[in-house]
Amino acid sequence: MPEAYIYDALRTPRGKGKRSGALYEVKPVDLLSAALDALRERTQLDPSGVDDTLIGCVTPTDDQGYNIAQAALLQSGWGQSAGSLQLNRYCASGLEAVNLAAMKIRSGWGQLVVAGGVESMSRVPMGSDGGALMYDPAFISGVPYLPQGVAADLIATLEGFSREIADTYAHQSQQRAKHAIDAGYFGRSVIPIYDQNGLLVLEQDEHPRPEATYEDLSALPAVFERAGQQGFDAMALQQYPSLEHIRHIHTAGNSSGIVDGAGLVLVGTYRQGHTLGLKPRAKVIAAANVSVDPTIMLTGPAPAARKALGQAGMEVADIDLWECNEAFAAVVLKFQREMGLSDSVVNVNGGAIALGHPLGATGAMLLGTLIDELERQDKQTGCVTLCVGGGMGVATIIERV
Amino acid sequence: MIKYKKDTDRIVTLTLDMEGRAANIINHELSDALVPVIGHLQAEKAKGKLQGIIITSAKKGFLQGGDLEYLFQAQQASVVFELAERFKTVLRSLERPGVPVVAAINGDALGAGFELALACHHRIALDTSHLRLGFPETRLGVIPSGGGITRLMWLLGVEQAYEVLASGQLYNAGEALQKQLIDEIAATPRDMMDKAKAYILSTDEGCRPWDQKQSRIPGGTARELGVAERLRALTASLAAHGPDTYPAEQAILSVLYEGSKLDFDTSCRVESRHFTTLLRSQVSKNRIKAFWFDQNFIRDGGNRPKGFGKFRPKRVGIIGAGRMGSGIAYACLDHGMEVVLKDVSKPIAERGLEYVRRHLDQDVSRAVKQAEEREQLLKRIQTTESSADFQDCDIVIEAVFENRMVKQKVMREAEEHMDEYSLFGSNTISIPITRLAEASLRPENYLGLHFFSPAEEVPLVEIVRGANTSDETVARAFDFVRAISKTPIVVKDDWGFFAARVQNTYILEGITMLQEGCPPALIENLGRQTGMPRGALALADSLGLNMVLRYENQAAEHYGTKYVQHPAVAVLKAMLEEWQRPGRQKRAGFYTYKGEERQQLWAGLADAFPAQPADTFDHAELKERFLVAQVLEAVWCMQEKVIHSIAAANLGSIHGWGFPASKGGVIQYVHDSGVDHFIARCKTLQQKHGQRFRLPSRLRSIVEQ
Repeated sequence: MPEAYIYDALRTPRGKGKRSGALYEVKPVDLLSAALDALRERTQLDPSGVDDTLIGCVTPTDDQGYNIAQAALLQSGWGQSAGSLQLNRYCASGLEAVNLAAMKIRSGWGQLVVAGGVESMSRVPMGSDGGALMYDPAFISGVPYLPQGVAADLIATLEGFSREIADTYAHQSQQRAKHAIDAGYFGRSVIPIYDQNGLLVLEQDEHPRPEATYEDLSALPAVFERAGQQGFDAMALQQYPSLEHIRHIHTAGNSSGIVDGAGLVLVGTYRQGHTLGLKPRAKVIAAANVSVDPTIMLTGPAPAARKALGQAGMEVADIDLWECNEAFAAVVLKFQREMGLSDSVVNVNGGAIALGHPLGATGAMLLGTLIDELERQDKQTGCVTLCVGGGMGVATIIERV
Repeated sequence: MIKYKKDTDRIVTLTLDMEGRAANIINHELSDALVPVIGHLQAEKAKGKLQGIIITSAKKGFLQGGDLEYLFQAQQASVVFELAERFKTVLRSLERPGVPVVAAINGDALGAGFELALACHHRIALDTSHLRLGFPETRLGVIPSGGGITRLMWLLGVEQAYEVLASGQLYNAGEALQKQLIDEIAATPRDMMDKAKAYILSTDEGCRPWDQKQSRIPGGTARELGVAERLRALTASLAAHGPDTYPAEQAILSVLYEGSKLDFDTSCRVESRHFTTLLRSQVSKNRIKAFWFDQNFIRDGGNRPKGFGKFRPKRVGIIGAGRMGSGIAYACLDHGMEVVLKDVSKPIAERGLEYVRRHLDQDVSRAVKQAEEREQLLKRIQTTESSADFQDCDIVIEAVFENRMVKQKVMREAEEHMDEYSLFGSNTISIPITRLAEASLRPENYLGLHFFSPAEEVPLVEIVRGANTSDETVARAFDFVRAISKTPIVVKDDWGFFAARVQNTYILEGITMLQEGCPPALIENLGRQTGMPRGALALADSLGLNMVLRYENQAAEHYGTKYVQHPAVAVLKAMLEEWQRPGRQKRAGFYTYKGEERQQLWAGLADAFPAQPADTFDHAELKERFLVAQVLEAVWCMQEKVIHSIAAANLGSIHGWGFPASKGGVIQYVHDSGVDHFIARCKTLQQKHGQRFRLPSRLRSIVEQ
């Protein structure tokens, strides 16, 4: 069976996902197209040799509708490649794209596949595509299905995570991201975004708030209390009746940031890489997805990681570094507790709390961040995992070569 | 059945007048009769001989709604679905003859009856005090079946339509106009017919908004995020109460969510499918049993002693201007009576007036009442410190604090000034009426009238018959309670009467679970999950643990040697004596308090009653125990003649302490679970948990009567 090698990983900077964000003026198709252009330039690949382009996008409507992957592909002049697919496994879409790419390679039915994701949350707001999970009364009552923030608060309540612990975690994320940016750890992967005249629009991540103190963070209001009072707290208690009430600890400061961005990973066989003259950086050795209780929804990372470890025949201790998406502080805290992991190996360069979470792209971005860091620390193995809406989890294990 | 009259303006008036019935109702007879008439009208239109149609009624009401007796029996899905579809087809053809159709609403138009009015192009209602229109269906656990949800959504928009449909509120002509449920009001029947004709002659509009290409639902569809977000918030507010509490309201949300994105006819079909599911559901059968059959039984005088003329109280005296007395005062005023409100001093009595005034202000700000009406009502209430002002009262009710001497004293003072025909009612929860009556000048006119707090809202009153209370007094008290639109249940003068006695078993069961090592939050959550409004421990606190124990001690006294001590008694004693936590009044009970406000479960419970993990308990059985304990106590009450009818027990339980309406009340519960199954479960529970789950000997004959 051929191995799935990773030859390159890159991403756009993450712009604030609102009108004041630098990437708000950039169309999502341009973001993804810029990433494709950069990949072509860096690897000198010939698009006609690309067997597929798999792109995660969570709100595929409006400017991101009608298969944004194909739009970007054609805009970048990759028409002679074998086409594209837009996919949606919510927040893990970008990682799922990498996993599917690896499966294509390992099956022998593809030699070179581009995987990644894109999301312009400023232009196409989360949830603006409607859908049963968001709005269908019968579905929401039937599951019962909560807003993700209430589910995160439910995790915190069950696990006894206080607001203080969550804010401390958030502060650490900000400080780690600042350190990584200042030290240039992201330099290899981040590509600047220019306008059509070649004028610079955004060069670096703009979401981090390194100046935010712990006190600043602890002054922020709990944002999901209102949804809780609408009735979602009571729905949570119906499923978890041992709790007296839901403690709302998540704020805009200890939840992932809303941002715009795109990320890509180039996956291929050893032979195809050799032909292109590319040096493999890592290989995908396990990929897994799982389901968990849909009401609590966001507890997927640990079981997904365990499933992936099982596939690879590995133990927790065999993994050198972990990336667990900082959707909400409680998600990572719970993951660490379940897996018995110390701070020193999890999200060592910060995460989505500081850097932002461009839904469809994040999984691919985290994989790139992990490879960069493994190389920097000269370590061997890493695992990326994300919690996923609808009660899912996805994990990928890679090993440097 | 339908009178057909055509005038010189080529306007046809259809007058509904069903034979052999006091009121017009929607059923297959009426549908069958309408079909050929509409066919004929369409032919007339094709020949150019029709200008418009007016539909009105020869009865006092316009159209009273669907045939519930028939619907209650309906079982097969295909039959129910076809029934709904057929009704929709009739209404659809009514609104599409190509000429304007006007509903001249001369009286009540309820449910399906109002749906027919909605299928007309123009609605004019007669401005009389008795006329009511709207959709009472959700109360019965069902939804409109004639396209009413979809039509109302197109007329008012998604949110407004939801409010009208889900609230089940009925409106008079003025309110209906304000809500845009109708287009015009008319002062007299002639005025109504003139306006109807004038409308027809002034328009050739014969096309509904949903049949026009460019039309939009006001406020937008569920595709628009604002609307979708609002529906989501409403969804959560309903789902918060569990799956069985608001099934009809949830179905309405679903129809609005889907239907606003569909074309009119498909939305109507979605409505029919939800209607079919709901009508066949056990929840709706239970609700129809309680809120239709049981309610009608009580309204028609079930349990009212026969042979006494109707009592029409005009002037009511109330002693005690606290929360209870003021609430009763408001309820009486609101139903057209004059009120004399007395307390120990005029300033204290004025506080009660202030309470009433605040309530009326709220009504005005919520547009439930006009400012003018408020002033009229305030003129009818008089405050006093003198019993002499009771001399013209038809009935006097005391709501002073729970002390026998005080109650007897105020009664005696009032009776001095009352005539021989007037009633005196005591509002007590724990003092035997017969005992209080010992001090009465006219014990035959004396009885207990047990209101529930807040008295202006809770729709139940227990009529407690003392040893010497006359049948006539009971009958008149019954009429008084009906006159303030509450449900009267006649109960025996035993401890806790009916409501408090049965409710106490819910509390005791929850307290018992605490002793079994059940985590307190689990007890409270599972209690609420059964559909009970509050957790057992919260309820114990607000009642006071002393009171809970006192009822149980009274039971012990009553049963003497046959009494088996309830396991909750030990916990109550520990809470009262060892932990000194008697409840909300002392701001320390199962919960902690900040002022009057309940904070959280007392952390000390963990040491006082060490808990085991929640998942070691069978949650379904815990929930079952909460309800079965109440059901068995209610059956004992029937066996011991504390209460006299299934209808009274069912409604008493729903209205009195919030027993889940989805179960149809405390006796209907047995039928809901199946009599044999219920008996088998009680035997199992008795083995596992003791004597309190013993079956009353006459259970089967009682519930099957």
